[in-house]
Order: sequence, then C-alpha cells, then structure tokens
Amino acid sequence: MRRRDLLRPLPLLIVVIAWQAASASGALPSWLMPSFFDVAKSLADLVGSGEILPHTLASLGRAGTGFFTAVIVGITAGVLMARVRLVQLALEPILMLIYPVPKPALIPLFMVWLGIGNFSKIAVIALACLVPIVVATFNGARSVDPILLWSARARGTSEQRLLWRVVLPAALPQIAAGVRTAIAIAIIVLVSSEFISSETGLGYLIFSYGGVGAEAAMLAVVLYLALLGYALDRVYVAGLRKAMAWHAFAH
Amino acid sequence: MGVACLELRDVGMRYGDGPTAVSALESISLAVEEHQFVSIVGPSGCGKSTLLYLVGGFLHPTVGEIRLRDRPIRGPGRDRGIVFQRYSLFPWLTVHDNIAYGLREMGMPRPEYEPIVAAHVRLVHLEGFERRYPRELSGGMQQRVAIAQTLACNPDILLMDEPFGALDAQTRRILQDELRRIWRRGTQTVLFVTHDVEEAVALGTRIVVMAARPGRIKEVLTRGFDVGDGDEFEANPAFADLKLHIWRSVKEEVDAARA
Repeated sequence: MRRRDLLRPLPLLIVVIAWQAASASGALPSWLMPSFFDVAKSLADLVGSGEILPHTLASLGRAGTGFFTAVIVGITAGVLMARVRLVQLALEPILMLIYPVPKPALIPLFMVWLGIGNFSKIAVIALACLVPIVVATFNGARSVDPILLWSARARGTSEQRLLWRVVLPAALPQIAAGVRTAIAIAIIVLVSSEFISSETGLGYLIFSYGGVGAEAAMLAVVLYLALLGYALDRVYVAGLRKAMAWHAFAH
Repeated sequence: MGVACLELRDVGMRYGDGPTAVSALESISLAVEEHQFVSIVGPSGCGKSTLLYLVGGFLHPTVGEIRLRDRPIRGPGRDRGIVFQRYSLFPWLTVHDNIAYGLREMGMPRPEYEPIVAAHVRLVHLEGFERRYPRELSGGMQQRVAIAQTLACNPDILLMDEPFGALDAQTRRILQDELRRIWRRGTQTVLFVTHDVEEAVALGTRIVVMAARPGRIKEVLTRGFDVGDGDEFEANPAFADLKLHIWRSVKEEVDAARA
C-alpha cells in the first residue's frame, strides 16, 4: 500500500524528465515549448512575488459561488425530478438538451443577458456544474432500494419523512460523485469564462501572458491550475471519506 | 385453542390484468393464533414472499381480506415488524442507530430508548459493535442487527422473509437457535418464510406447505412436540418423520413446477 503510493507520481516524473531532457538537448526548441525548468521558475516567481494570489482569490470566488449555487439548486432539482413525475417530465428534456452543449459556448449569450461582469461568469459556471449534480441526484434518488423504503415505512416513517430519512441518505454516494465531477467542471468553465472581458482571474492571466508571448508564464498558470484542481479534489475526497465513513468508496 | 390474531380470508393476488395477468396467490385462507410460530415453505414462485408482503401491508390483495386483531390491514404498521433476507439495514446508520431507528421514529426520548437499544444489542450478542456500520459486519451479524431492529419496536407479529437464506450453514443454525430462544421467551407471533424444510420444522409450531402456479396452500401441519432450547429434537423420530413428510410434499410441487 505504502509502496504503491510512492510509485503513484512516477509517470508524472517520467514526463517531466523527458520534457526537460528534450528541451536541454535542443530536440524541443524554446519557441515551440519552454523547458520545464523555465515554467517551474515562472511559477515560483508568480507565487513568490504574490502576483498570483489576487487572481486566485478572484477565480475561486467566481468558481465557488457558481459551484455552491449548483450544489443547492442541483440537489433540489434532482430530488424533485425523482419524486414528482410532473417535474421529471418538465425538466428531463431540457436537461438532456443542455447536457452535450459546451457551456463556454454560452458565455457570449450570458454576457448579453447578464452583463460582462462577474454575474455572467458565475451563471455559466453554475449551469455547467448543475448538469452532473442533477443527473447524479436524480439517478441516486430514483434507484433507492425499495427494501429500505419498506423497512422505514414498517418502522413508522411517514411518506413525507421518507425523503429525509431514506431517499437522501441512500442517494448520497451518487450525489457525492456528481459533485466531484462538478468541481473539475467548475475549474474548466471558470478559465474559459475569464478569457473574455476579464481583468482578474487565472483565466485572464493565461490569456494575457499568451497574448504577449510569455509562454513560460502562461504554462506556469496552467500548471498552477492543475495543482489547484488536484488539491481541491483531494480535499473533497478526504472530507467525504471522513463524513461518509459508512460508505465503501471504490477510489 | 387460542384466539386468532391474524386472519387471511380467501386472499388472492394477481399482477397485471386481462389475459396476461399472473395469479401469484389464490384463495389463501389461514388463521394464526397468538404466539404461534408459523413456517411457510414451498418451491420458488409459490408466492410465499408475496403472502408476507400482503400481511406487511406493502402490497394489497386483489381479492379477499386480511384482518389483524379483527381490523383490516391498510398499510404497513408498527404492529408488524419485518426482517428481509438481506440489505435491509440503513447503511448510513451505526448498529446502535439502526436498532434505535423505529424507537426514534415513534418520538421516544433518548433516556427511554437507550436501555431498550442496549437490551436488544445484548439479546443478539452484539455488545461492542454498537458504533460499527453495516458494511463492517458479516452477513450473520447484519441479520442479527436486523432482528434486533425489528424486535426493539416490540411488534405483535414478526414477519420474516428467508432471513437466514443468504447465510452459511453454521451461522444459519446458530441464528435459528437464537430466534427460537427469543421467540420462546417472548410473546410475538411469527410468520417465517423459508424454502428450507428442516428450518421450517425446527422453528415452526405450524408448517404451511404451499404449491406454485398459482400460489396456494397445499397443507397445514402442526408440530405436535416441543423442540426445546437445545438440539436434542434432532434425534426425535417424530421430527424426522415430519421433516420427511414435508420434504416429500414440497418435492412433489417442485417436480410439478418443473414438468
């Protein structure tokens, strides 16, 4: 177990070494791709100078607001779809239509509706996060083992209370998986939304460094985003394992 | 003879309607007295579980009537506790909270239900496992919790749907002995569905043999001797005779269903 954990980052290490070796040997010219060391140095500068901090906070604010809105709205909508036939009939086709749409493609439209400020960015992040959460909640709440529902009813739980006592807790593992997907989506859509008409944020940094040909700094922000996303996922999964000790997680 | 506490009057159950309707149960009539242990045995597809779900109030008969203490059954109720074959515990609740579930749903305050939970933990020998979650327990322990969860609510009637069917032979035997011990000391009336003839005879004071397609009662036997707490009954020739009789009766139905 411990040895496997140590070996886990090995493929990444190999990629980094190969990348650096290709740059150093001249096989990968710097006009095509900066060396790993240059990118790492840029990242150290960005973090060390504190330049990246306000952009991180601005981005996390947008992504977090959109994400948490999606969690609340998504779980509510998913449960209602599973429990109320009319809601399911009303929302399912809309959901199926929205599902494959690349949400960043809606940014220009959202800007027309909601202005070019934070609001349109948050709205598009929320919409993108909403889809996996609604689908996961709907499936989870719909597939509750009928034995558990019978068991609760035989022990005095009323129809109205079944939702809180059985349906939601039983659907929780699936909801949690949907929320995890939404965390990654929040970051993806966040960056796209900050490419356009933004003066802060990590997406803005990538776009502006790319625009002036500072590739090392641009890639440094991409790397930073990857690490940030990874850290958020680890924190989420660790929190989940603690909060849901009753469930046997596969990962 | 005691008073009938549960009465099934000409109960029938059909799924679907028209020419494709399937008759799961036909003209089931049965009167069960207080503190009887009724085993229901029969081949798969004879509707024995359906019969239990009807008494549980989870399903409703298409014809006939089921009366409990002379009142018709309209839905699930706390007077009837049910133990399923498996996976009926709430995975997100600990052993303690699973056993306390029904008591809390009644609105019983903590100081009142804690001693009841503790007593039922002891009854099924699970001391020290109160804080564990179902997934951390073996199948046998999970079924012990399910029995404790059901008994804690103190139902008049215990409905058991092959509760030991998914367990290994030794665990099953131990739990059978425990269930008999619990029943002998308690006041519950038990309806116990099984496909295991030996289990049916070792536990039931009355044994209902069912036939399949459509599900109906073939014969009802009374076990005329007491089996006590130990395992001496196995050497009793009357036990062997009754077991053989029921096995032949069930086998006829299995063969008929196959033909």
